[in-house]
Amino acid sequence: MTEAATQITSSIDTLTRELEIITHNLANASTTGFKRRCNAFSKALDAQQGDAETYSPGTIDLNSAFDFSQGNLTQTGRTLDLAIMGKGFFVVETPAGPLYTRNGAFQTNANGQVVDSMGRTVAGESGPITVPASVGLSGLIVSAEGQISAGEISIGKIKIADFGDDQSKLVPAGDSCFVMPDKDIRPAEPENAVVKQGYQESSNVKIVDELVDMVMVTRLYEANMRYVSVQREASSSITSVAMG
Amino acid sequence: MLKAFSTAATGMAGQQMMVDVIANNLANINTTGFKRSQINFQDLLYVKLSQAGAEVASGITSPTGLEIGSGVRASATVKVFTVGELDNTGRPLDMAISGDGFLQVTMPNGDIRYSRDGALQSNANGQLVTATGYAIEPAITIPTDAAAVDIGKDGTVNITDASGTQSVVGTLQLVRFPNPTGLSNEGDNLYAQTEASGTAVTGTPGENGFGFIQSGMLEKSNVQMVTELVNLITAQRAYEINARAIRAGDDMLQTATTIGR
Repeated sequence: MTEAATQITSSIDTLTRELEIITHNLANASTTGFKRRCNAFSKALDAQQGDAETYSPGTIDLNSAFDFSQGNLTQTGRTLDLAIMGKGFFVVETPAGPLYTRNGAFQTNANGQVVDSMGRTVAGESGPITVPASVGLSGLIVSAEGQISAGEISIGKIKIADFGDDQSKLVPAGDSCFVMPDKDIRPAEPENAVVKQGYQESSNVKIVDELVDMVMVTRLYEANMRYVSVQREASSSITSVAMG
Repeated sequence: MLKAFSTAATGMAGQQMMVDVIANNLANINTTGFKRSQINFQDLLYVKLSQAGAEVASGITSPTGLEIGSGVRASATVKVFTVGELDNTGRPLDMAISGDGFLQVTMPNGDIRYSRDGALQSNANGQLVTATGYAIEPAITIPTDAAAVDIGKDGTVNITDASGTQSVVGTLQLVRFPNPTGLSNEGDNLYAQTEASGTAVTGTPGENGFGFIQSGMLEKSNVQMVTELVNLITAQRAYEINARAIRAGDDMLQTATTIGR
């Protein structure tokens, strides 16, 4: 009976955490470049659908990883709204080292440098990218490779980092960014990333899927609790018999 | 208590802010020179329950960590400075900037503000002013004997007097900022320079990437009604779903409290 009690406690803890993951995904349904966290149910589902390469059925656990699948592209028309189609991340420079993000809602700062919405410098292939004062922002053209130019003037190339299969090792740093904790893993040149100008990548949270998971979590929680009350009744009747 | 409650609450607050921004965009759908705002969200910090790469048994490291996020926050509202549609009015003093640039406006206290609203007027002294009556900088005065006024593509203000002689009375100048999204919104279609926007760069219309002046036209708001309505529906649904998540958490707690009975 104590073993069952331990199992129930662990299962209830897991379900509570599961709900927290789902809520965080839902809260970020409108966050540009957000990648949803997988939870146990969606992993189990993926495994069933034969996506065995990523999650083999035997290893379903709650060590939730990110689902790095492509989000929909939403047109905004801003010249510095960039979205990546395919694998890869924009690189944002911070004093603590580079951060990687799929949120390409960029702007320029007071010095004309390309920065993200938090004001952190966006990395270019050769250092920060500065838009010269002689160029209007509406005249900026960003090519599919991330090359920024205005008419004849070449301004710089946006750096795109591709971690290939190692991207599952990225750790969230908040503010739409990821950090690579393993210093030995260096990003490679992107292979099939296409930069789209005037678009933002929407969050890849699928509201209906999260809702279904949420209903399952609540019901499983109820079932677990039900088991606890049954046990309680059983033990109380045993004690009442024993006590006479 | 469940962390899910506060996480969902950040989601609801974020969506509510999005509705506020959309409402302001829609309210200004007919405001000359209005630029729509766009709200950017970012995810909040993660609570690390276990570190990726931590050793779980000798020689075995956990492939992924376990971090639980704590919701969302609005990081910025960004003014989208795309050019709105140009509307032909035929009024000689109406002008639109097709491209980058702002007109400079002198406030009564001498401060300079910036605007893209080109519905200009001439006041009692013949000076060019905005629809609200603030003077355009550099000051341009149209003589009282002018029979016709014409604003050229390069910003030159030409007048034709009663005898048919043409003369130039001034040139409109435009300014541009390294970071126009950093300008502060002052209402009345006016913007003010801030630390974030950088210093204004002055130039002649049509040169160095500045837009041309289109006289007899007004720049309409760049708000697209369909886009805003779609965003509104999305925001409303997302709000509902977050509220639903709070209810799910509440249901779970309720189940927990009833087992004690």
